[in-house]
Amino acid sequence: MKTKRFVALLLAALMVVSLAACGKKTESKSSLSIPSGGYDGSAVTIRFYHTMGANLSTVLNAYIEDFNKIYPNITIEASQVGSYDDVRNQISTEITVGDQPNIAYCYPDHVALYNLAGAVQTLDDLIASKEEVKRADGSTETLGLSDAQIADFIEGYYKEGQQFGDGKMYTIPFSKSTEVLYYNKTFFDANGLTLPKTWDEMETLCKKIKEIDPESIPLGYDSEANWFITMCEQNGSAYTSATGDHFLFNNDTNKAFVKKFREWYQAGLLTTQTLYGAYTSGLFTAESGTRSYMSIGSSAGATHQRPAADADGKYPFEVGIATIPQVNASSPKVISQGPSVCIFKKDNVQEVIASWLFVKFLTTNVDFQAEFSMTSGYVPVLKSVGQNSTYADFISKADGGNYISALSAKICLDQVNAYYTSPAFNGSSKARDQVGKLLSKCLAATTDDVDKMINDAFKDAVDECEYAQ
Amino acid sequence: MSEENKNNMQPSSPDTKSTVMRERDLKKTAANQTVGHILVKVMVYTFLIIMAIVVIFPFYWMINSSLKTLDEYRAQVPTFWPQRVMFSNYLEAYNAAGLGKLFVNTMIVGVISTILSLVITVLSAFAFARLEFKGKNILFAGLLATMMIPGELFTITNYGTVTTFGWKNTYTVLIVPFLVSVFYIYLLRQNFLQIPNELYLAAKVDGTSDLKYLWRVMIPLSLPTLISITILKMMGAWNSYIWPRLVANDEAHRLITNGLRNAFTETTGDVNYPVQMAAVAVVSFPLFLVFVFLRKYIMKGVSRSGIKG
Amino acid sequence: MVDSKQQWKAWIYLAPAIVLLLIFTVWPIINTVRMAFLENYSGLETVGGATFKFNANNFVKVIKYKKFINCLKNTVLLCVLTVPISTMLALLIAVGLNSIKPLQKTLQTIFFLPYVTNSIAIGMVFAAMFNMVGINIGAPGQNIVSAGIINNLIGLFGAKPINWINAGSEYFENIAVMTVYIVWNALPFKILILLGGLQSINKQYYDAAHVDGASRRRIFWRITVPLLSPMLAYVIITGFIGGFKEYTSIVGIFGEKMGPADDAGRLNTMVGFIYDALSTNKQGRASAAALILFGIILVVTLINLRVSKKRVHY
Repeated sequence: MKTKRFVALLLAALMVVSLAACGKKTESKSSLSIPSGGYDGSAVTIRFYHTMGANLSTVLNAYIEDFNKIYPNITIEASQVGSYDDVRNQISTEITVGDQPNIAYCYPDHVALYNLAGAVQTLDDLIASKEEVKRADGSTETLGLSDAQIADFIEGYYKEGQQFGDGKMYTIPFSKSTEVLYYNKTFFDANGLTLPKTWDEMETLCKKIKEIDPESIPLGYDSEANWFITMCEQNGSAYTSATGDHFLFNNDTNKAFVKKFREWYQAGLLTTQTLYGAYTSGLFTAESGTRSYMSIGSSAGATHQRPAADADGKYPFEVGIATIPQVNASSPKVISQGPSVCIFKKDNVQEVIASWLFVKFLTTNVDFQAEFSMTSGYVPVLKSVGQNSTYADFISKADGGNYISALSAKICLDQVNAYYTSPAFNGSSKARDQVGKLLSKCLAATTDDVDKMINDAFKDAVDECEYAQ
Repeated sequence: MSEENKNNMQPSSPDTKSTVMRERDLKKTAANQTVGHILVKVMVYTFLIIMAIVVIFPFYWMINSSLKTLDEYRAQVPTFWPQRVMFSNYLEAYNAAGLGKLFVNTMIVGVISTILSLVITVLSAFAFARLEFKGKNILFAGLLATMMIPGELFTITNYGTVTTFGWKNTYTVLIVPFLVSVFYIYLLRQNFLQIPNELYLAAKVDGTSDLKYLWRVMIPLSLPTLISITILKMMGAWNSYIWPRLVANDEAHRLITNGLRNAFTETTGDVNYPVQMAAVAVVSFPLFLVFVFLRKYIMKGVSRSGIKG
Repeated sequence: MVDSKQQWKAWIYLAPAIVLLLIFTVWPIINTVRMAFLENYSGLETVGGATFKFNANNFVKVIKYKKFINCLKNTVLLCVLTVPISTMLALLIAVGLNSIKPLQKTLQTIFFLPYVTNSIAIGMVFAAMFNMVGINIGAPGQNIVSAGIINNLIGLFGAKPINWINAGSEYFENIAVMTVYIVWNALPFKILILLGGLQSINKQYYDAAHVDGASRRRIFWRITVPLLSPMLAYVIITGFIGGFKEYTSIVGIFGEKMGPADDAGRLNTMVGFIYDALSTNKQGRASAAALILFGIILVVTLINLRVSKKRVHY
């Protein structure tokens, strides 16, 4: 009896469904028509999704107050949504019902995803606009960016906004970081070790350290994905392409470096965040037992790479910061990361313009960029921040102790020309995800036939990327 | 053929044989029987106590870890009691996660949704248990069938629905979509069915209204079930994670599990595990308390209405 | 028999429930089926103006995908392992509890404690217990930075530490940990139900059996189990349904990567598969996978019902 009822019900449901109509479609406008005068002073609410913790939110809120002095009718609702992935997931769901925020922290592959729905506002019209916008205090500002303002952005960062295939500007850089090599300076000095410029030197160095302290894991590398992509970039081997065949990372050069690093891992020379089970800074700052003497991680995480101070405020060892090793020391490559911001399309053009005014206010504001950078350890995106007296003072204090963030910022600023970004397209985040998993798997897997295992892992990773398309 | 006979016929190990023989001997004298009785009791207690230790160990470990310093937590050889008791971890957890506001939000959502849910459940269960109407059985079977569908699937469509209603970042969105639980309707219906129909018919003859009858007779008689529904519903608010994260993750409405996770998600750096364990313990504690005091009602409610039919 | 006044009343009483169910349960189900049959359906692309063909290719693509088979295997394996083990243990504990007087209440409370926990939170505690951090420092025999309590306990008995959940661990070990955790999690509900059942069994049956001089084992198999069979059927059926929806317990132990560090996704389950498809904005495939899962649960439940119809004594 019951069985029959279930089946009948199921059939009924199926019938209802086959009759159900198809989904709705919304047209999205691609170009923006800016009304004369730009912002008309109307009351709008701008939602801004970010990932800032409490410290940075405090900095942000102070500047929102400043912004409201000149534009009292623009209400900024800034909310910390969680991690970058949380921001991406939440927004991509919200887009499907037309409820996306106005401004969001973003990485290039997030934008590629949002672009499937055509939801991101291109900024070229806004940047080029010569409209004069009236502020509450009676003064005016030009809606667009002046040539001087554009030139003040660090060029590589600014160009990241145009990497989406059509040459249009989708994002504005907000704050940036890269990967740096943290090392135990006290230990290095005591043992007369020199910093590795290349990966070959790194191998020799790790072996030397292992001889000095057999219980150590000389090197910790936090992000497997960054490592893989950076190695592709340094080797000049293929990783992904924004056009045509996307997933090109299954090649012999890449297999070779993966195999080499596997040997290092198996010899106990290195570990990674996933394999260690926590950020490798934990290993680096350990004072006894198994520890590491080098750690490659985000330049924005410098304070986590510093060991805890004792009661007198003294640190048990001094931390040094250097650039990461290279394949070819004469053409260095380091990853450029850290958030940009994008603006979403809205039916009300005033919302879009108000969002732009706020983004412009933050990203071209030297004081904000300086304060934000000093609080977070991120690198400012404006060249002129370097001339800001507070920031210059901050950088001049750089050391391995209390001013470790300044030290890491200094190292970053010194290698501005080495930054690279990888292509952004729908599926680029999947590729990133997959190569990270691939690397950790190849380092640690127990197997009799290493080459076969590596071949299979590469093939699997490509398959995974293809399936997700 | 019974299990025991089978065992007797098979070549059994000396151990089983001796047990069997002992069992036979035991029947002979009362004194021996008492000894056997005690032996069995000892075995039962040993088994139960070992299992109880296994069950309770993770909780002990959570509290133990929550009172340690990070260094001690990371120590190679774990200690069974913290060398330096760090009650400050709890304070830190409370502040780091802003637990006060989270508690309040969770209580608001929990209490309101429990009350509304009880009303809806009682009315529906009453209709299914006592009233006759066309299509009753099909409707009921249909409801039960929805229980088998993985709830995760509803999320994406429901998200669209509540956004269309403009409910995002309100208490409404945390309360309304989950007010109806087919499981609770089923539980309560089973309970109502056990109350003799004669009572209802008699009440009708007396001219008592349905609602009065419900309030005077059926609700008091099925109180244990209602209490266990209340507890389950409150626990639901306490433990819900995926839905609130999606639809109401602003400061004003954030619930406890989300707050807990948000507080311990950091973009870089190490998580302070002892503080995290402390937060988990703080969040778990109220539930334990409720449970310890109301265990009787949960037991009665679930076992009475759990099965039959 | 059915008077119209009762009809009216019934529908009024049911109205709130039905309205809410239509909006938040029935419509999502219909929408799911719709999305499942639209090839490569994606909500984002719909907003972008894309249209999708109506066919069953989502199902084909999902079934052919080897990760899907892997998820199915994990789900079935965990079900087949945990349901019998937890049911047997729960039965033994319930019978034990039912037979004692002193300490009964205290032990009951202890056994029910896991019932009131958040499986993600307590999963983290389990993960910490089975954990090994920073396991490879190269030289054999000294490759553990910090071991969890379980390995320390094993060490007391002279055994070597086992790599349960970290990088380099084996599938077998992962499954063992998951089985322990899921069983631990499932016990309280089952004990609750079975103990309730036991306490409602009429004592006269046992008295009669004692008079006949039946052995304990015989009483257990001939009286307790048959009289308890409706409850047993109930916990087994709900156990299977829950087992096929396994997800959060694995997140609790392994995190959202659903596997040991070097092999993410190794322990992924059907529900995890659906989530993955959702998070990559492939609602079409997610819906197809969900319908497949629903089909499997339906079939297993029907088989369970059929078997229990023959075996259960009401």
